[in-house]
Amino acid sequence: MATVQKDVVSFQHVSKVFNGETIALSDFNLSIDEGEFLSFLGPSGCGKSTALRLVAGLGNATQGTVKVFNEPPKQIVQNTNDIAFVFQDANLLPWRTVLDNVLLPLELRGGNKKEQKKEAIRVLEMVGLKEHVKAYPRQLSGGMKMRVSIARALAAKPKMLLMDEPFGALDEITRQTLQLELLDIWKKEDMTILFVTHNVFEAVFLSTRIAVMSARPGRLSSTIDVELPFPRQLSIRTNQKFTDYVDVASDSLENSSEQRELV
Amino acid sequence: MSMPSVEVVKNHEHIKKTEEKKQNSFFAKFKQIYLGPIIAFVVFIAIWQAVPLLLGLKHYILPKPTDVVSAAIEDWHLLWPAVQITVVESVVGFLVSAVVGILVSILLATSKILERSIYPYAIILQTIPVVAVAPIVVIWFGAGYNSIVVISFLIGFFPVISNTLMGLNSVDKNMDELFTLYNASKWQRMWKLRLPAALPYMMAGLKISCTLSIVGAIVGEYIAGIGGGKGGLGYSITVAAIQVKTSYLFACGIAAAILGIGFYLLVSLFANLMLRSWHESAMKVDK
Ligand SMILES: Nc1ncnc2c1ncn2[C@@H]1O[C@H](COP(=O)(O)OP(=O)(O)O)[C@@H](O)[C@H]1O
Ligand SMILES: [Mg+2]
Repeated sequence: MATVQKDVVSFQHVSKVFNGETIALSDFNLSIDEGEFLSFLGPSGCGKSTALRLVAGLGNATQGTVKVFNEPPKQIVQNTNDIAFVFQDANLLPWRTVLDNVLLPLELRGGNKKEQKKEAIRVLEMVGLKEHVKAYPRQLSGGMKMRVSIARALAAKPKMLLMDEPFGALDEITRQTLQLELLDIWKKEDMTILFVTHNVFEAVFLSTRIAVMSARPGRLSSTIDVELPFPRQLSIRTNQKFTDYVDVASDSLENSSEQRELV
Repeated sequence: MSMPSVEVVKNHEHIKKTEEKKQNSFFAKFKQIYLGPIIAFVVFIAIWQAVPLLLGLKHYILPKPTDVVSAAIEDWHLLWPAVQITVVESVVGFLVSAVVGILVSILLATSKILERSIYPYAIILQTIPVVAVAPIVVIWFGAGYNSIVVISFLIGFFPVISNTLMGLNSVDKNMDELFTLYNASKWQRMWKLRLPAALPYMMAGLKISCTLSIVGAIVGEYIAGIGGGKGGLGYSITVAAIQVKTSYLFACGIAAAILGIGFYLLVSLFANLMLRSWHESAMKVDK
Protein backbone atom coordinates (compact mmCIF):
# COMPACT_ATOMS: atom_id res chain seq x y z
CA MET A 1 0.00 0.00 0.00
CA ALA A 2 1.23 3.47 -0.84
CA THR A 3 1.86 5.90 1.97
CA VAL A 4 -1.26 7.53 3.28
CA GLN A 5 -1.54 11.20 2.53
CA LYS A 6 -2.21 13.20 5.67
CA ASP A 7 -4.74 15.98 5.97
CA VAL A 8 -6.49 15.63 2.61
CA VAL A 9 -9.15 17.78 4.23
CA SER A 10 -8.47 20.33 6.91
CA PHE A 11 -10.74 22.74 8.74
CA GLN A 12 -8.83 25.41 10.65
CA HIS A 13 -10.82 27.65 12.97
CA VAL A 14 -13.66 27.62 10.51
CA SER A 15 -16.84 29.46 11.22
CA LYS A 16 -19.77 30.02 8.94
CA VAL A 17 -22.45 32.61 9.59
CA PHE A 18 -25.53 32.91 7.38
CA ASN A 19 -27.12 36.32 6.83
CA GLY A 20 -25.03 37.78 9.65
CA GLU A 21 -27.13 35.98 12.27
CA THR A 22 -27.32 32.18 11.97
CA ILE A 23 -24.08 30.69 13.26
CA ALA A 24 -23.94 27.36 11.44
CA LEU A 25 -20.34 26.55 12.37
CA SER A 26 -18.17 28.04 15.07
CA ASP A 27 -14.42 27.54 15.47
CA PHE A 28 -14.53 24.18 13.72
CA ASN A 29 -11.24 22.27 13.57
CA LEU A 30 -10.75 18.88 11.94
CA SER A 31 -8.20 17.08 9.82
CA ILE A 32 -8.98 14.06 7.70
CA ASP A 33 -6.46 11.63 6.24
CA GLU A 34 -6.56 9.84 2.94
CA GLY A 35 -8.64 6.68 2.93
CA GLU A 36 -10.70 7.51 5.99
CA PHE A 37 -14.42 6.89 6.15
CA LEU A 38 -15.41 9.79 8.32
CA SER A 39 -18.97 10.43 9.43
CA PHE A 40 -20.31 13.73 10.67
CA LEU A 41 -22.84 12.80 13.32
CA GLY A 42 -25.16 15.26 15.03
CA PRO A 43 -28.70 16.52 15.50
CA SER A 44 -30.30 18.33 12.59
CA GLY A 45 -29.30 21.94 12.28
CA CYS A 46 -25.85 21.45 13.80
CA GLY A 47 -24.04 22.39 10.60
CA LYS A 48 -23.20 18.97 9.12
CA SER A 49 -24.34 19.91 5.65
CA THR A 50 -22.67 23.28 5.94
CA ALA A 51 -19.34 21.61 6.76
CA LEU A 52 -19.66 19.17 3.88
CA ARG A 53 -20.62 21.91 1.44
CA LEU A 54 -17.58 23.93 2.42
CA VAL A 55 -15.40 20.96 1.47
CA ALA A 56 -17.13 20.90 -1.93
CA GLY A 57 -16.55 24.61 -2.41
CA LEU A 58 -20.30 25.32 -2.28
CA GLY A 59 -20.05 28.48 -0.21
CA ASN A 60 -17.17 30.15 1.60
CA ALA A 61 -16.11 30.04 5.23
CA THR A 62 -16.90 33.26 7.06
CA GLN A 63 -13.69 32.84 9.07
CA GLY A 64 -10.82 30.37 9.05
CA THR A 65 -9.71 28.18 6.17
CA VAL A 66 -10.88 24.96 4.58
CA LYS A 67 -8.37 23.12 2.45
CA VAL A 68 -8.79 20.03 0.31
CA PHE A 69 -5.63 18.35 -0.96
CA ASN A 70 -3.87 21.45 0.41
CA GLU A 71 -5.75 23.76 -1.89
CA PRO A 72 -8.88 25.89 -1.65
CA PRO A 73 -11.88 23.64 -2.42
CA LYS A 74 -13.12 25.85 -5.27
CA GLN A 75 -9.80 25.40 -7.03
CA ILE A 76 -10.02 21.62 -6.74
CA VAL A 77 -13.58 21.58 -8.04
CA GLN A 78 -12.68 23.77 -11.00
CA ASN A 79 -9.53 21.98 -12.05
CA THR A 80 -10.02 18.32 -11.17
CA ASN A 81 -12.50 15.48 -10.83
CA ASP A 82 -11.21 14.71 -7.36
CA ILE A 83 -14.37 15.55 -5.43
CA ALA A 84 -17.83 14.12 -5.99
CA PHE A 85 -20.97 14.98 -4.05
CA VAL A 86 -24.00 12.78 -3.40
CA PHE A 87 -27.12 14.69 -2.43
CA GLN A 88 -29.79 13.45 -0.06
CA ASP A 89 -32.49 13.20 -2.70
CA ALA A 90 -30.80 11.44 -5.57
CA ASN A 91 -30.91 14.67 -7.59
CA LEU A 92 -31.17 12.94 -10.97
CA LEU A 93 -32.16 14.79 -14.13
CA PRO A 94 -35.68 13.48 -14.89
CA TRP A 95 -35.31 13.89 -18.65
CA ARG A 96 -32.21 11.69 -18.84
CA THR A 97 -32.05 7.91 -18.72
CA VAL A 98 -30.01 6.16 -16.06
CA LEU A 99 -27.06 5.86 -18.43
CA ASP A 100 -27.27 9.49 -19.52
CA ASN A 101 -27.46 10.64 -15.91
CA VAL A 102 -24.27 8.76 -15.13
CA LEU A 103 -22.66 10.13 -18.28
CA LEU A 104 -23.38 13.72 -17.28
CA PRO A 105 -20.18 14.46 -15.31
CA LEU A 106 -18.12 12.87 -18.08
CA GLU A 107 -19.91 14.87 -20.76
CA LEU A 108 -19.34 18.11 -18.88
CA ARG A 109 -15.63 17.38 -18.65
CA GLY A 110 -15.39 16.39 -22.30
CA GLY A 111 -13.37 13.58 -23.86
CA ASN A 112 -13.79 10.40 -25.84
CA LYS A 113 -17.46 9.37 -26.05
CA LYS A 114 -16.76 5.65 -26.31
CA GLU A 115 -14.55 5.60 -23.25
CA GLN A 116 -17.08 7.66 -21.34
CA LYS A 117 -19.73 5.09 -22.06
CA LYS A 118 -17.45 2.25 -21.02
CA GLU A 119 -16.73 3.98 -17.75
CA ALA A 120 -20.43 4.69 -17.14
CA ILE A 121 -21.28 1.04 -17.71
CA ARG A 122 -18.50 -0.01 -15.36
CA VAL A 123 -19.83 2.06 -12.46
CA LEU A 124 -23.43 1.07 -13.18
CA GLU A 125 -22.34 -2.54 -13.02
CA MET A 126 -20.69 -1.84 -9.68
CA VAL A 127 -23.98 -0.59 -8.20
CA GLY A 128 -25.93 -3.45 -9.80
CA LEU A 129 -27.92 -1.41 -12.30
CA LYS A 130 -26.57 -2.66 -15.58
CA GLU A 131 -30.01 -3.92 -16.61
CA HIS A 132 -31.66 -0.56 -16.05
CA VAL A 133 -29.47 1.72 -18.14
CA LYS A 134 -32.37 2.73 -20.38
CA ALA A 135 -34.86 3.44 -17.58
CA TYR A 136 -35.90 6.93 -16.58
CA PRO A 137 -35.58 8.08 -12.96
CA ARG A 138 -39.36 8.10 -12.44
CA GLN A 139 -39.41 4.35 -13.16
CA LEU A 140 -36.96 3.60 -10.32
CA SER A 141 -37.44 3.04 -6.61
CA GLY A 142 -35.79 5.32 -4.08
CA GLY A 143 -32.96 2.87 -3.49
CA MET A 144 -32.28 2.47 -7.20
CA LYS A 145 -32.26 6.23 -7.68
CA MET A 146 -29.67 6.53 -4.94
CA ARG A 147 -27.60 3.83 -6.64
CA VAL A 148 -27.66 5.82 -9.87
CA SER A 149 -26.64 8.89 -7.94
CA ILE A 150 -23.69 7.03 -6.42
CA ALA A 151 -22.73 5.66 -9.83
CA ARG A 152 -22.81 9.17 -11.24
CA ALA A 153 -20.52 10.35 -8.46
CA LEU A 154 -18.11 7.49 -9.12
CA ALA A 155 -18.11 7.97 -12.89
CA ALA A 156 -15.49 10.70 -12.90
CA LYS A 157 -13.19 8.61 -10.66
CA PRO A 158 -13.07 10.96 -7.67
CA LYS A 159 -10.53 10.62 -4.88
CA MET A 160 -13.05 11.83 -2.38
CA LEU A 161 -16.76 11.20 -2.03
CA LEU A 162 -18.94 13.60 -0.04
CA MET A 163 -22.33 12.22 0.95
CA ASP A 164 -25.04 14.26 2.67
CA GLU A 165 -27.47 11.88 4.40
CA PRO A 166 -27.68 9.79 1.24
CA PHE A 167 -29.71 7.01 2.83
CA GLY A 168 -31.89 9.22 5.00
CA ALA A 169 -35.02 8.79 2.90
CA LEU A 170 -34.74 5.02 2.37
CA ASP A 171 -36.41 2.17 4.19
CA GLU A 172 -34.32 0.19 6.66
CA ILE A 173 -33.71 -2.86 4.46
CA THR A 174 -32.66 -0.89 1.40
CA ARG A 175 -30.50 1.27 3.62
CA GLN A 176 -28.64 -1.77 4.99
CA THR A 177 -28.01 -3.15 1.52
CA LEU A 178 -26.68 0.17 0.32
CA GLN A 179 -24.48 0.54 3.39
CA LEU A 180 -22.81 -2.79 2.61
CA GLU A 181 -22.41 -1.86 -1.03
CA LEU A 182 -20.95 1.50 -0.13
CA LEU A 183 -18.31 -0.14 2.07
CA ASP A 184 -17.44 -2.44 -0.84
CA ILE A 185 -17.11 0.49 -3.21
CA TRP A 186 -15.02 2.42 -0.70
CA LYS A 187 -12.53 -0.46 -0.53
CA LYS A 188 -12.52 -1.12 -4.27
CA GLU A 189 -12.15 2.46 -5.41
CA ASP A 190 -9.67 3.49 -2.76
CA MET A 191 -11.43 6.69 -1.77
CA THR A 192 -11.79 8.99 1.17
CA ILE A 193 -15.44 9.27 2.15
CA LEU A 194 -17.04 12.05 4.18
CA PHE A 195 -20.51 10.96 5.20
CA VAL A 196 -23.20 12.99 6.93
CA THR A 197 -25.78 11.23 9.08
CA HIS A 198 -27.87 11.72 12.20
CA ASN A 199 -28.14 7.96 12.72
CA VAL A 200 -25.75 6.62 15.38
CA PHE A 201 -25.90 3.00 14.16
CA GLU A 202 -25.17 4.03 10.61
CA ALA A 203 -22.21 6.14 11.71
CA VAL A 204 -20.66 3.32 13.77
CA PHE A 205 -21.31 0.67 11.16
CA LEU A 206 -19.72 2.55 8.29
CA SER A 207 -17.00 4.74 9.71
CA THR A 208 -13.39 4.52 10.62
CA ARG A 209 -13.90 7.74 12.55
CA ILE A 210 -16.90 9.72 13.73
CA ALA A 211 -16.97 13.49 14.19
CA VAL A 212 -19.71 14.18 16.72
CA MET A 213 -21.15 17.66 16.40
CA SER A 214 -23.32 19.81 18.63
CA ALA A 215 -25.83 22.47 17.61
CA ARG A 216 -26.28 26.16 18.24
CA PRO A 217 -23.61 27.07 17.51
CA GLY A 218 -22.39 24.17 15.36
CA ARG A 219 -19.23 22.80 16.91
CA LEU A 220 -17.14 19.67 16.83
CA SER A 221 -17.72 18.13 20.25
CA SER A 222 -15.55 15.01 19.92
CA THR A 223 -14.15 12.48 17.50
CA ILE A 224 -14.39 8.73 17.97
CA ASP A 225 -12.09 6.22 16.27
CA VAL A 226 -14.12 3.14 15.40
CA GLU A 227 -11.71 0.25 15.51
CA LEU A 228 -13.92 -2.48 14.18
CA PRO A 229 -12.35 -4.69 11.52
CA PHE A 230 -13.29 -4.61 7.83
CA PRO A 231 -15.02 -6.09 5.91
CA ARG A 232 -17.99 -5.47 8.17
CA GLN A 233 -21.08 -7.67 8.00
CA LEU A 234 -24.57 -6.83 9.20
CA SER A 235 -24.09 -9.37 12.01
CA ILE A 236 -21.54 -7.05 13.56
CA ARG A 237 -24.45 -5.07 14.94
CA THR A 238 -25.01 -7.57 17.73
CA ASN A 239 -21.30 -7.65 18.56
CA GLN A 240 -20.43 -6.29 22.04
CA LYS A 241 -17.76 -3.97 20.64
CA PHE A 242 -20.22 -2.51 18.15
CA THR A 243 -22.80 -1.75 20.82
CA ASP A 244 -20.06 -0.23 22.99
CA TYR A 245 -19.23 2.18 20.19
CA VAL A 246 -22.89 2.99 19.76
CA ASP A 247 -23.08 3.79 23.48
CA VAL A 248 -20.00 6.00 23.32
CA ALA A 249 -21.33 7.89 20.31
CA SER A 250 -24.80 8.27 21.85
CA ASP A 251 -23.30 9.56 25.10
CA SER A 252 -21.19 12.00 23.20
CA LEU A 253 -24.26 13.22 21.33
CA GLU A 254 -26.24 13.60 24.55
CA ASN A 255 -23.45 15.46 26.30
CA SER A 256 -23.20 17.87 23.44
CA SER A 257 -26.91 18.58 23.54
CA GLU A 258 -26.82 19.03 27.33
CA GLN A 259 -24.07 21.53 26.89
CA ARG A 260 -26.34 23.34 24.53
CA GLU A 261 -29.10 23.52 27.10
CA LEU A 262 -26.74 24.92 29.72
CA VAL A 263 -25.65 27.72 27.43
CA MET B 1 -44.31 -21.12 3.12
CA SER B 2 -47.97 -20.55 2.33
CA MET B 3 -47.28 -17.09 1.03
CA PRO B 4 -46.63 -18.00 -2.60
CA SER B 5 -49.86 -19.98 -3.03
CA VAL B 6 -51.84 -17.06 -1.68
CA GLU B 7 -50.24 -14.87 -4.24
CA VAL B 8 -51.14 -17.29 -7.02
CA VAL B 9 -54.79 -17.24 -6.02
CA LYS B 10 -54.72 -13.50 -5.91
CA ASN B 11 -53.22 -13.41 -9.35
CA HIS B 12 -56.03 -15.57 -10.75
CA GLU B 13 -58.64 -13.32 -9.31
CA HIS B 14 -56.80 -10.40 -10.65
CA ILE B 15 -56.74 -11.80 -14.17
CA LYS B 16 -60.45 -12.58 -14.08
CA LYS B 17 -61.24 -9.11 -12.90
CA THR B 18 -59.20 -7.45 -15.59
CA GLU B 19 -60.93 -9.54 -18.25
CA GLU B 20 -64.35 -8.47 -17.05
CA LYS B 21 -63.13 -4.96 -16.86
CA LYS B 22 -61.91 -4.98 -20.44
CA GLN B 23 -65.38 -5.86 -21.74
CA ASN B 24 -67.08 -3.24 -19.70
CA SER B 25 -64.45 -0.63 -19.81
CA PHE B 26 -65.32 0.68 -23.28
CA PHE B 27 -68.96 1.30 -22.42
CA ALA B 28 -68.12 2.53 -18.97
CA LYS B 29 -65.62 4.99 -20.35
CA PHE B 30 -67.99 6.00 -23.12
CA LYS B 31 -70.76 6.63 -20.62
CA GLN B 32 -68.49 8.49 -18.24
CA ILE B 33 -66.70 10.77 -20.65
CA TYR B 34 -68.58 11.12 -23.93
CA LEU B 35 -72.25 10.45 -23.28
CA GLY B 36 -72.86 13.63 -21.26
CA PRO B 37 -71.33 16.06 -23.77
CA ILE B 38 -73.06 14.31 -26.70
CA ILE B 39 -76.49 14.60 -25.09
CA ALA B 40 -75.81 18.23 -24.20
CA PHE B 41 -74.80 18.91 -27.80
CA VAL B 42 -77.90 17.30 -29.26
CA VAL B 43 -80.16 19.15 -26.83
CA PHE B 44 -78.42 22.43 -27.60
CA ILE B 45 -78.83 21.98 -31.37
CA ALA B 46 -82.48 20.99 -30.93
CA ILE B 47 -83.24 24.11 -28.87
CA TRP B 48 -81.34 26.26 -31.33
CA GLN B 49 -83.37 24.76 -34.16
CA ALA B 50 -86.65 25.25 -32.26
CA VAL B 51 -86.21 28.81 -30.97
CA PRO B 52 -86.23 30.70 -34.31
CA LEU B 53 -89.21 28.62 -35.42
CA LEU B 54 -91.20 29.21 -32.23
CA LEU B 55 -90.39 32.93 -31.98
CA GLY B 56 -90.71 33.44 -35.71
CA LEU B 57 -87.21 34.98 -35.99
CA LYS B 58 -85.93 35.79 -39.47
CA HIS B 59 -82.90 33.81 -40.65
CA TYR B 60 -80.77 36.98 -40.84
CA ILE B 61 -81.39 37.60 -37.12
CA LEU B 62 -80.87 34.05 -35.84
CA PRO B 63 -80.33 31.33 -38.44
CA LYS B 64 -81.26 27.77 -37.59
CA PRO B 65 -78.51 25.11 -37.55
CA THR B 66 -79.90 23.78 -40.82
CA ASP B 67 -79.57 27.28 -42.35
CA VAL B 68 -75.94 27.43 -41.21
CA VAL B 69 -75.13 24.04 -42.70
CA SER B 70 -76.76 24.86 -46.03
CA ALA B 71 -74.99 28.25 -46.12
CA ALA B 72 -71.67 26.49 -45.51
CA ILE B 73 -72.37 23.99 -48.33
CA GLU B 74 -73.62 26.65 -50.71
CA ASP B 75 -70.66 28.97 -50.19
CA TRP B 76 -68.10 26.20 -49.70
CA HIS B 77 -66.09 27.59 -52.62
CA LEU B 78 -65.65 30.78 -50.55
CA LEU B 79 -65.37 29.26 -47.11
CA TRP B 80 -62.74 26.62 -47.83
CA PRO B 81 -60.12 28.96 -49.41
CA ALA B 82 -60.74 31.45 -46.56
CA VAL B 83 -60.04 28.72 -44.00
CA GLN B 84 -56.86 27.73 -45.83
CA ILE B 85 -55.59 31.30 -45.89
CA THR B 86 -56.25 31.81 -42.18
CA VAL B 87 -54.54 28.52 -41.39
CA VAL B 88 -51.39 29.57 -43.23
CA GLU B 89 -51.35 33.00 -41.60
CA SER B 90 -51.85 31.73 -38.09
CA VAL B 91 -49.39 28.85 -38.46
CA VAL B 92 -46.71 31.22 -39.73
CA GLY B 93 -47.55 33.71 -36.98
CA PHE B 94 -47.38 30.94 -34.40
CA LEU B 95 -44.07 29.54 -35.68
CA VAL B 96 -42.51 33.00 -35.68
CA SER B 97 -43.72 33.69 -32.13
CA ALA B 98 -42.45 30.28 -30.99
CA VAL B 99 -38.98 30.70 -32.51
CA VAL B 100 -38.55 34.36 -31.62
CA GLY B 101 -40.08 33.85 -28.17
CA ILE B 102 -37.77 30.98 -27.30
CA LEU B 103 -34.66 32.69 -28.67
CA VAL B 104 -35.41 35.94 -26.85
CA SER B 105 -36.06 34.01 -23.63
CA ILE B 106 -32.72 32.24 -23.91
CA LEU B 107 -31.00 35.53 -24.57
CA LEU B 108 -32.67 37.19 -21.59
CA ALA B 109 -31.99 34.20 -19.35
CA THR B 110 -28.26 34.21 -20.05
CA SER B 111 -27.85 37.54 -18.33
CA LYS B 112 -29.68 38.67 -15.20
CA ILE B 113 -28.91 42.29 -16.06
CA LEU B 114 -30.41 41.93 -19.51
CA GLU B 115 -33.48 40.23 -18.11
CA ARG B 116 -34.00 42.84 -15.41
CA SER B 117 -33.67 45.72 -17.85
CA ILE B 118 -35.70 44.37 -20.76
CA TYR B 119 -38.37 42.05 -19.35
CA PRO B 120 -40.40 44.86 -17.69
CA TYR B 121 -40.85 46.46 -21.11
CA ALA B 122 -41.97 43.16 -22.55
CA ILE B 123 -44.69 43.09 -19.90
CA ILE B 124 -45.70 46.70 -20.62
CA LEU B 125 -45.79 46.00 -24.35
CA GLN B 126 -48.04 43.05 -23.65
CA THR B 127 -50.63 45.25 -21.91
CA ILE B 128 -51.02 47.44 -25.03
CA PRO B 129 -54.06 46.10 -26.89
CA VAL B 130 -52.85 44.77 -30.20
CA VAL B 131 -56.01 46.06 -31.89
CA ALA B 132 -54.85 49.57 -30.99
CA VAL B 133 -51.44 49.22 -32.64
CA ALA B 134 -52.61 47.11 -35.57
CA PRO B 135 -53.14 50.12 -37.88
CA ILE B 136 -49.50 51.09 -37.28
CA VAL B 137 -48.48 47.60 -38.27
CA VAL B 138 -50.49 48.00 -41.46
CA ILE B 139 -48.74 51.29 -42.23
CA TRP B 140 -45.36 49.63 -41.76
CA PHE B 141 -45.96 46.29 -43.42
CA GLY B 142 -48.68 47.17 -45.92
CA ALA B 143 -52.19 45.78 -46.15
CA GLY B 144 -52.49 42.00 -46.36
CA TYR B 145 -50.50 38.91 -45.54
CA ASN B 146 -47.37 40.42 -43.94
CA SER B 147 -49.28 42.64 -41.54
CA ILE B 148 -51.63 39.82 -40.60
CA VAL B 149 -48.73 37.52 -39.75
CA VAL B 150 -47.08 40.29 -37.70
CA ILE B 151 -50.29 40.92 -35.75
CA SER B 152 -50.72 37.19 -35.15
CA PHE B 153 -47.09 37.06 -33.97
CA LEU B 154 -47.55 40.04 -31.63
CA ILE B 155 -50.46 38.34 -29.91
CA GLY B 156 -48.90 34.88 -29.70
CA PHE B 157 -45.38 35.93 -28.75
CA PHE B 158 -45.72 36.94 -25.12
CA PRO B 159 -47.03 33.70 -23.59
CA VAL B 160 -44.04 31.90 -25.10
CA ILE B 161 -41.57 34.36 -23.57
CA SER B 162 -43.14 34.56 -20.15
CA ASN B 163 -43.52 30.79 -19.81
CA THR B 164 -40.11 29.88 -21.21
CA LEU B 165 -38.38 32.47 -19.08
CA MET B 166 -40.16 31.19 -15.99
CA GLY B 167 -39.02 27.68 -16.86
CA LEU B 168 -35.43 28.70 -17.49
CA ASN B 169 -35.34 30.35 -14.07
CA SER B 170 -37.04 27.52 -12.22
CA VAL B 171 -34.09 25.12 -12.14
CA ASP B 172 -33.83 23.07 -8.96
CA LYS B 173 -31.11 24.41 -6.67
CA ASN B 174 -29.47 21.05 -6.08
CA MET B 175 -29.27 20.34 -9.80
CA ASP B 176 -27.73 23.73 -10.33
CA GLU B 177 -25.11 22.95 -7.68
CA LEU B 178 -24.41 19.61 -9.32
CA PHE B 179 -23.45 21.50 -12.47
CA THR B 180 -21.32 23.88 -10.43
CA LEU B 181 -19.47 20.91 -8.92
CA TYR B 182 -18.63 19.67 -12.39
CA ASN B 183 -17.49 23.11 -13.41
CA ALA B 184 -20.08 23.36 -16.20
CA SER B 185 -19.84 26.34 -18.53
CA LYS B 186 -22.68 28.79 -18.96
CA TRP B 187 -23.72 27.19 -22.25
CA GLN B 188 -23.46 23.64 -20.94
CA ARG B 189 -25.76 24.72 -18.14
CA MET B 190 -28.17 26.22 -20.68
CA TRP B 191 -28.28 23.21 -23.02
CA LYS B 192 -28.04 20.38 -20.55
CA LEU B 193 -29.93 21.80 -17.59
CA ARG B 194 -31.97 24.96 -18.03
CA LEU B 195 -33.56 24.26 -21.41
CA PRO B 196 -34.60 20.68 -20.63
CA ALA B 197 -35.91 21.84 -17.26
CA ALA B 198 -37.87 24.59 -19.00
CA LEU B 199 -39.40 22.27 -21.59
CA PRO B 200 -42.71 21.68 -19.78
CA TYR B 201 -43.13 25.42 -19.25
CA MET B 202 -42.22 26.10 -22.85
CA MET B 203 -44.84 23.63 -24.05
CA ALA B 204 -47.49 25.23 -21.84
CA GLY B 205 -46.57 28.57 -23.43
CA LEU B 206 -46.86 27.15 -26.95
CA LYS B 207 -50.30 25.74 -26.18
CA ILE B 208 -51.56 29.16 -25.13
CA SER B 209 -49.84 30.86 -28.03
CA CYS B 210 -51.30 28.63 -30.75
CA THR B 211 -54.92 29.56 -30.07
CA LEU B 212 -53.96 33.21 -29.67
CA SER B 213 -52.24 33.18 -33.03
CA ILE B 214 -55.56 32.30 -34.70
CA VAL B 215 -57.25 35.16 -32.87
CA GLY B 216 -54.38 37.34 -34.08
CA ALA B 217 -54.78 36.24 -37.69
CA ILE B 218 -58.54 36.89 -37.72
CA VAL B 219 -58.20 40.27 -36.00
CA GLY B 220 -55.39 41.04 -38.45
CA GLU B 221 -57.70 40.25 -41.36
CA TYR B 222 -60.39 42.57 -39.99
CA ILE B 223 -57.90 45.41 -40.00
CA ALA B 224 -55.39 44.61 -42.71
CA GLY B 225 -57.93 43.29 -45.22
CA ILE B 226 -56.78 41.29 -48.19
CA GLY B 227 -54.20 43.33 -50.04
CA GLY B 228 -54.46 41.42 -53.27
CA GLY B 229 -55.47 37.79 -53.65
CA LYS B 230 -58.24 36.24 -51.56
CA GLY B 231 -59.07 37.00 -47.95
CA GLY B 232 -59.11 34.69 -44.97
CA LEU B 233 -61.86 33.95 -42.44
CA GLY B 234 -61.66 37.38 -40.83
CA TYR B 235 -62.13 39.05 -44.18
CA SER B 236 -65.04 36.75 -45.04
CA ILE B 237 -66.63 37.60 -41.73
CA THR B 238 -66.46 41.36 -42.35
CA VAL B 239 -67.86 40.95 -45.85
CA ALA B 240 -70.65 38.61 -44.68
CA ALA B 241 -71.55 41.05 -41.91
CA ILE B 242 -71.87 43.95 -44.36
CA GLN B 243 -74.07 41.85 -46.64
CA VAL B 244 -76.08 40.56 -43.64
CA LYS B 245 -75.38 36.95 -44.68
CA THR B 246 -75.97 35.86 -41.10
CA SER B 247 -76.05 32.12 -41.79
CA TYR B 248 -72.69 32.29 -43.56
CA LEU B 249 -71.38 34.46 -40.70
CA PHE B 250 -72.25 31.65 -38.30
CA ALA B 251 -70.56 29.12 -40.55
CA CYS B 252 -67.37 31.24 -40.52
CA GLY B 253 -67.47 31.56 -36.74
CA ILE B 254 -67.86 27.82 -36.32
CA ALA B 255 -65.05 27.19 -38.81
CA ALA B 256 -62.78 29.50 -36.77
CA ALA B 257 -63.69 27.62 -33.59
CA ILE B 258 -62.91 24.25 -35.18
CA LEU B 259 -59.64 25.66 -36.44
CA GLY B 260 -58.70 26.82 -32.93
CA ILE B 261 -59.54 23.49 -31.34
CA GLY B 262 -57.72 21.54 -34.04
CA PHE B 263 -54.60 23.66 -33.75
CA TYR B 264 -54.64 23.36 -29.96
CA LEU B 265 -54.96 19.57 -30.11
CA LEU B 266 -52.11 19.37 -32.61
CA VAL B 267 -49.79 21.45 -30.45
CA SER B 268 -50.82 19.46 -27.36
CA LEU B 269 -49.93 16.27 -29.18
CA PHE B 270 -46.54 17.71 -30.06
CA ALA B 271 -46.05 18.81 -26.43
CA ASN B 272 -46.85 15.34 -25.13
CA LEU B 273 -44.39 13.81 -27.57
CA MET B 274 -41.66 16.18 -26.43
CA LEU B 275 -42.36 15.44 -22.77
CA ARG B 276 -42.94 11.73 -23.21
CA SER B 277 -39.83 10.76 -21.30
CA TRP B 278 -40.74 12.61 -18.15
CA HIS B 279 -44.46 13.40 -18.08
CA GLU B 280 -44.41 13.56 -14.30
CA SER B 281 -43.03 17.04 -14.37
CA ALA B 282 -45.09 17.92 -17.41
CA MET B 283 -48.22 17.29 -15.44
CA LYS B 284 -47.05 19.49 -12.62
CA VAL B 285 -47.08 22.48 -14.93
CA ASP B 286 -50.26 21.63 -16.76
CA LYS B 287 -52.40 21.69 -13.63
N1 LIG C 1 -28.34 28.82 2.92
C1 LIG C 1 -28.64 29.06 4.20
N2 LIG C 1 -29.11 30.27 4.57
C2 LIG C 1 -29.41 30.53 5.86
N3 LIG C 1 -29.25 29.66 6.87
C3 LIG C 1 -28.79 28.43 6.57
C4 LIG C 1 -28.46 28.07 5.21
N4 LIG C 1 -28.00 26.79 5.22
C5 LIG C 1 -28.06 26.39 6.50
N5 LIG C 1 -28.52 27.36 7.32
C6 LIG C 1 -28.67 27.26 8.78
O1 LIG C 1 -27.46 26.82 9.32
C7 LIG C 1 -27.69 25.86 10.35
C8 LIG C 1 -27.00 24.57 10.01
O2 LIG C 1 -27.61 23.99 8.86
P1 LIG C 1 -27.14 22.63 8.22
O3 LIG C 1 -25.70 22.69 7.96
O4 LIG C 1 -28.03 22.38 7.05
O5 LIG C 1 -27.45 21.59 9.37
P2 LIG C 1 -27.55 19.99 9.31
O6 LIG C 1 -27.13 19.54 7.95
O7 LIG C 1 -26.68 19.49 10.40
O8 LIG C 1 -28.97 19.65 9.60
C9 LIG C 1 -29.20 25.72 10.48
O9 LIG C 1 -29.63 26.52 11.55
C10 LIG C 1 -29.72 26.24 9.16
O10 LIG C 1 -30.97 26.85 9.35
MG1 LIG D 1 -28.26 18.57 6.45
